Amino acid sequence: MTELRLEGVTKRYGTDGSGTVALRDVDLTVRDGEFFTLVGPSGCGKTTTLRAIAGFETPTDGTVRFDGEAVTDAAPEDRDVGVVFQSYALFPHMSVAENVGYGLRYREPPAGTSVDERVRELLELVDLEGMGDRDPDQLSGGQRQRVALARALAPEPDLLLLDEPMSALDARLRESLRRQLKRIQSRLEITTVYVTHDQAEALAISDRLAVLRDGRIEQVGRPREIYREPSTRFVAEFVGDNNVFDASVRGRDGDRTRVAVDGSDREFELADVPAGAERVSFCVRPAALARDADANRFAVEIETSEFRGERVRTYGRWDGGSVVLQFDAETLLPSDPDGLENGATATTDGGTDDNGADGVDDGGDVAIDGDVVVGFAPTDAHVLETHSAEQRR
Amino acid sequence: MSLADRLVVDRRSAGAASAWLERRALSLAALGTAAVLVVVLYLPVGLVFVEALLEDGSPTLGHVAEVVTDPFYFGVLADVFAEPLAIGDHLGALVGWLGGISIAVTLASPVPGLDLPVPWLAVDLPPVRKGLFGFTAYQAALSTVASVAIGLPAAYILANYEFRGRRTLRSLTILPFVLPGIMVAVGFYAMFGRTGTLNTLLGAVGLGPFAFVETSPLAIVILAHAFYNAPLVARLTVSAWESVDARTVETARSLGASPRRAFRDVVVPQLVPAVLTGALLTFIFTFMTFPIVLALGGLQLATVEVWIYDRVQRLAYGEAASLAILETVLSLGLTYAYLRYESARAGLSQAPSPPPREALFPDVRTALSPRRLAILGYGLVALVLFVGPLASLVVGSFTDGSGFTLRNYAFLLERQLEGASFQTRPVPAIRNSLLFGLATLAVAVPMGVVISVLTVRAGRSGRLVDTLAMLPLAVSGVVFGIGLLQGLVFGIPLPGGWRFQVTGAVAIVAAHAVAAYPFVTRNVSPLLATLDPAMVESARALGASRTRALLDVELPLVASGIVAGAAFAFAVSIGEFSSTVILASGSEHYTMPVAVERYLGRRSGPAIAMGTLLLAVTAASFVVVDRVGGRYEL
Repeated sequence: MTELRLEGVTKRYGTDGSGTVALRDVDLTVRDGEFFTLVGPSGCGKTTTLRAIAGFETPTDGTVRFDGEAVTDAAPEDRDVGVVFQSYALFPHMSVAENVGYGLRYREPPAGTSVDERVRELLELVDLEGMGDRDPDQLSGGQRQRVALARALAPEPDLLLLDEPMSALDARLRESLRRQLKRIQSRLEITTVYVTHDQAEALAISDRLAVLRDGRIEQVGRPREIYREPSTRFVAEFVGDNNVFDASVRGRDGDRTRVAVDGSDREFELADVPAGAERVSFCVRPAALARDADANRFAVEIETSEFRGERVRTYGRWDGGSVVLQFDAETLLPSDPDGLENGATATTDGGTDDNGADGVDDGGDVAIDGDVVVGFAPTDAHVLETHSAEQRR
Repeated sequence: MSLADRLVVDRRSAGAASAWLERRALSLAALGTAAVLVVVLYLPVGLVFVEALLEDGSPTLGHVAEVVTDPFYFGVLADVFAEPLAIGDHLGALVGWLGGISIAVTLASPVPGLDLPVPWLAVDLPPVRKGLFGFTAYQAALSTVASVAIGLPAAYILANYEFRGRRTLRSLTILPFVLPGIMVAVGFYAMFGRTGTLNTLLGAVGLGPFAFVETSPLAIVILAHAFYNAPLVARLTVSAWESVDARTVETARSLGASPRRAFRDVVVPQLVPAVLTGALLTFIFTFMTFPIVLALGGLQLATVEVWIYDRVQRLAYGEAASLAILETVLSLGLTYAYLRYESARAGLSQAPSPPPREALFPDVRTALSPRRLAILGYGLVALVLFVGPLASLVVGSFTDGSGFTLRNYAFLLERQLEGASFQTRPVPAIRNSLLFGLATLAVAVPMGVVISVLTVRAGRSGRLVDTLAMLPLAVSGVVFGIGLLQGLVFGIPLPGGWRFQVTGAVAIVAAHAVAAYPFVTRNVSPLLATLDPAMVESARALGASRTRALLDVELPLVASGIVAGAAFAFAVSIGEFSSTVILASGSEHYTMPVAVERYLGRRSGPAIAMGTLLLAVTAASFVVVDRVGGRYEL
């Protein structure tokens, strides 16, 4: 259907464009039929980007192209986009069916269908058959969200744009609607741009995603790439939990590089450090920090733990700063005290005063006290940035 | 280039032109509104200032200084203004006055025939020469105290008790505000006059008759002011009360506060701003009071407004202008204080958990508790104060001292059929009122809506627009009438021998529109402010042009506010008296309120009958607009 391109899109606010900069030179290509997500903290420019695509904002510089054709200055009504907002923005004075059919007042329904048929078809698509006569205020949050989606899709837009459509919903509903949205999107094969601040959601739903920060794109890639090979320290820390270390290079042993982490005299071995690097930042995911690893072992003093069903997430400190660890919950059950090494003990009594303030003894809390020794394979460390001696001077 | 391509290009260029118009539409509308405001509001008021501050083309403060140092206007303060540096003398005078205060405590038996001595505190103040401005402020202060005293219990009941008709009563509190002042004044006359309903009732039990209006006109004027402003105080306080989060009271209770303390520590601080706002507004309105004092007190009870009107009648425009600018400066200062204060308060909204309301009379035992009896007593007083004058108006029009009569209406009919053309006849008055009302709607509604859009959209500069556009609330009708008379009706010479001049009727409509549009703005702005901008954007993404989105989405959603604003605008126009009486003087453009005032002579009957007609037309217009509002649903 449609390929979307942003070329050098810049948005400055202020009377003469000298005020705050919302977007700096954003280049982006969203492929035909792709589910593409813009993710980043608030104020990163993701919503501004979406609004520039929809035509609600005119970029100060740069070009927006739909299938190669520049639409930068076209009004929103001349663009054939469907938009779903965080607030849904349903028209409160129209019934559900009138809302869904609104776009068909101005755009022809798909060939061979009448407006009524199209509305029924869309309500069916979002599992709201027979709700057409209701008023929006008679619907639940999730139902409203689906009406907004049906309304955006009814005129068969070239592009579907979604601005944090799930953030007003509770977690469980969000997940089920997310699956439904993804199913509908892949069935219609509509090019979709999705904006969210929730990195987990972005990883779960996207074909590809862009991480934004301060109006710039930090990294574009498939979820797996972004998670495993973050290109910057920001992406490493923003997407998923991560442990980022800053270290100085001490020496090389073949393809391994020995580094000393700041604040600690412990030396680690890393793979894939470019030659000539003097300083290096690298990250290791919590799951890669294992108690049975042979290399790069260090002792962590445990502070708190969170029970998350299958896994236990544990937060602790070592000489080099704070660390996030992840354990298999099975290995921490009291029935298997041998699963813990080096004096670490696990309790499930929930009575710890630090994190069990409500004092409810439901056995749900997991706490590990004391120290644990973990290590990681050199290949599990991902190098983020390096500085050579020349750069530092 | 293929034909299809060419068509696309054509469509684009036509689209570009209309898009240009759409983008500039708001600016153009704003420009138009600003032009109207400049011509019919700022220019006339400016002319009054020029009149007072210019002598033979050179600026002077002479006229103003004359007024300020005249004891007739400023009483004892005039000496202070005349010689501001003679501080010793002024302090001496103050000490002398304080020394003259005597306080006496006596035992008196207030109830005749019952030997019950009650300690009676008598404070004897030496007289102070207040002057015209002093007296105006004095009666405004008394009116404010009375309005707050009568309004607060109503707010307490409306906010804390549930009973049938509570919501209706709550929305009715807006009504007195738009009732014609002259009609209310005549209503009070019909109630408290020598042959009024109160004396008729007292006569039935062998008392009276008492000359309430003649012996204590100030008290009646203050009551009439309370009729207007107590509901305003109640309304503001109730909405503040309803926005108190019940959880904050519960938190205070859980932290150990008794119900009484929780009320004092948590609720009262949140009510005080609303009560002060109400009091400040009441003071502003009663400081600028005109028809009520004119009708009930006359010149013997003159306030600044009445005196200005009298000067205008005597064609002493210079003196009137000097007085007018002093009054305007004072009221503008007060209004500025009000706006500052209002903006300092965060916007009141319905609390997430509003305070619970008890049933007012759940059962007989509760109904007989002291608190419920007090509420009942207050209810009776309120009924007499608020329903009494209007009922008396209707009753008074059909009765004279001895019983039922149609004489008053017969007089109106006779005047209509046989009156000379220079005499005031009822049908032209009704026709003028309705015509001016409709014309006012046509001007005030678009103006009010445009100003709403500007204030809501413009963000920070919206505050400025709001303040400038709300100026009519701070400029009295009489001042405004003088400005229009001198500016537009007498005409302004333009270069090239032209003269900018409008007829009395156009000037009257201009005056009404300027007085009315703030009500439209006040009704539309809150709806517009809560409108989700994403709704318009959704409509546009679905293919609607900006204009279509306006018609499909924004207009239907603010329609109820526009209709309500229109109802107020019409009512304001029907009831406007202050500037109309000046602009219509000596012409056939008189409206119903002006006719009421002209009939108000020695015999009050015809005026009461005319006032009843005015009440009927006002009520009918509300019903009609309400019906129109009911159908206007998309």
